[in-house]
Amino acid sequence: MKHPARWVAGAVAVLLVAFSVVLATQVGSDPRADAKKSQLAGKDAPEFTVETLDGQELTEADLAGKATIVNFWNTWCIPCREEHPELTKFYERHADDPDFVMLGIVRDDNRKAVDRWMRANGDAWTIATDPGGNAALSFGTRGQPETFAISPDGLVVGYQFGPSSVRDLETLLAAARGGTGL
Amino acid sequence: MSPSRRGWIPWILLGVVAAGVLVWAVWPSGDPTDAERTRSLAHELRCPDCESLSAADSQTASARAIRRDLKQRVAEGQSDATIRRAYVDRYGESILLKPERGGLGLLVWGLPVLLLIAGAGALVVAFRRWRGAAPLQPTDDDEALVREMRTGERAS
Repeated sequence: MKHPARWVAGAVAVLLVAFSVVLATQVGSDPRADAKKSQLAGKDAPEFTVETLDGQELTEADLAGKATIVNFWNTWCIPCREEHPELTKFYERHADDPDFVMLGIVRDDNRKAVDRWMRANGDAWTIATDPGGNAALSFGTRGQPETFAISPDGLVVGYQFGPSSVRDLETLLAAARGGTGL
Repeated sequence: MSPSRRGWIPWILLGVVAAGVLVWAVWPSGDPTDAERTRSLAHELRCPDCESLSAADSQTASARAIRRDLKQRVAEGQSDATIRRAYVDRYGESILLKPERGGLGLLVWGLPVLLLIAGAGALVVAFRRWRGAAPLQPTDDDEALVREMRTGERAS
């Protein structure tokens, strides 16, 4: 080898260029970009067990055959409070739909606060607590509110991170019923 | 043994000691217990609802749920890779605080090693060059200049 130092320098340069190209093309500018999308999209809804406020266990199997909206929330969460009137309006529109169910899962709150909330607001849809946070973990939630649409055959067909409007919820429901989702 | 070969002995000894220390530092000291595995995995996973903290270091409900889930998965006999994959499937790659040792992650792990090897190679080349370079010899002009200066000093 005539100029070994040049070969070494050249090899290092090639490595650095290759690394830069890979970083530029494969890695987005936001290292947590995948935090903005649900990894469950298009997959089977996860198995979960929650407890309704009257003490009944509810699992994903109980939702089979229905277009389902699952909303993770907390009483202390300001965006959840902002979202609440929209959820109420949306639920009133569809409460009598035989193929529809809406489930509110309390993500991280104490039971007393939830009971107080229910006395004040009287939500008509099913509200359940998540002992141990397993349902929130199964859905891969990163905060609240987060809303998922599940089709009657058990696929996650849509999601919304952050507060949903009535329009967002209608879109999710249409996806769950077999319209356009995701 | 020739003097040139004897010159390599300190370098060989240094290499052996360095390799020994590295092996001692990274060699696993027996099988980890379930609790150690759970703790180690919790340190590798990002707490989903807080910034830049591991599930081991955070006290949010999600982090506590992850720790319980890890404990259960480890007790069920799932491998570390299977557990990591389950979390990536649920949250994406960003749930891992350290990049995976495959795909793009392999590049991130491997590049520093390659650069280290290339740097060591460059040092070896540079040392050889310095050793092989002939010592500077005074030219006739240099010697004439020194003679001239010495003559001047004596005269003064």
